[in-house]
Amino acid sequence: MTPSQPPAAATGTDAIDRQTYLEAVRASAGTWPGIVAWGLVSGMAIVKAGLTIWQALAMTLLVFAGSAQLSALPLMMSHTPVLVIFATALVVNLRFVIFSAAISPHFSHLPWRGRLWHGYFCSDMMMAFFPQRFPFSTLGNHAGKKGFYWGIATSNWVAWQGGAVAGILLANRIPESWQVGFAGTLALLAVMIPLTINRAALAGVLVAGAVAVAAAGLPFRMGLLLAVICGMAVAMLFDHWEPDHA
Amino acid sequence: MPELSQEAIYVWLTIGLLLMATVISRSALFLMGRSLKISPTLMHALRYAPAAALSAIVAPDLFMQAGQTDVSLVNPKLVAGIAASLFFLWTRHMLSTIVVGMLVFSMMRAAI
Repeated sequence: MTPSQPPAAATGTDAIDRQTYLEAVRASAGTWPGIVAWGLVSGMAIVKAGLTIWQALAMTLLVFAGSAQLSALPLMMSHTPVLVIFATALVVNLRFVIFSAAISPHFSHLPWRGRLWHGYFCSDMMMAFFPQRFPFSTLGNHAGKKGFYWGIATSNWVAWQGGAVAGILLANRIPESWQVGFAGTLALLAVMIPLTINRAALAGVLVAGAVAVAAAGLPFRMGLLLAVICGMAVAMLFDHWEPDHA
Repeated sequence: MPELSQEAIYVWLTIGLLLMATVISRSALFLMGRSLKISPTLMHALRYAPAAALSAIVAPDLFMQAGQTDVSLVNPKLVAGIAASLFFLWTRHMLSTIVVGMLVFSMMRAAI
């Protein structure tokens, strides 16, 4: 355990990090077209929801979380209270808590600012690549992790934001009658399906969807939070009754 | 200084809170490090929350039209959503799923 950062003279580790940076960029290259397209759709959806160009750019560049952004848009359009939107975004983002539980121990030696910054870039793509390259068995050894992490982080950020900014700038050239905003809902479906990992999760998805429709008339979109709680409860009960498949 | 409208304040406030939601969910465990222990039961429950939340967002858009529940095969969004889901289960490809869903949606709307 070293209390502070080792001096920068360690050129050996720099070389390893450069190598793993390039390795990460190459490993993730196959995902870029999909990321660009998903960014494009989210950028268009923000503008079609009625935000100005500056608001849309600020949202994508700062928030950097596609499914939370797309989930927030219909709520913003119906003037849902901001705290309900905040709570919804937190729940949609809960998967990142699970991701960071798998990844953050590798960077626990960094000062707090470094950890905050690493956390901000701990996206879906990071979960798809980092743990398989650096499993928990590599916890004591930091070699190459920084390079690999930032290789995934920067290429994912550039692909996503490139697509989103293009979508924001193009959105007004697309006729209203095409209803491209619906592409945002379709993208959320494609995010939801892989998250439905077993029968318990499927039960949760079905119950949450049914409750959300049945309770759509409740004030302040409380039906949404009710639906999420019911869905989670049913999924947990399902595992309780039938623990063997989990 | 131009005065901010109510609408603009609402949008900027929401953007700020969404940024907070990103930082809290992604960086909390990075910041707390070893001092925070999440119980296995809570971790288990957390796995099911995002899919349930996304379903609660998507379902009203697919199953309702103008505030009324519409579970029928003349509901363009519902049919497009089912088609897109089946296509995604088959191909696991997001971009083409969106294209197929939008095509079905547009054809349904043109036909009705």
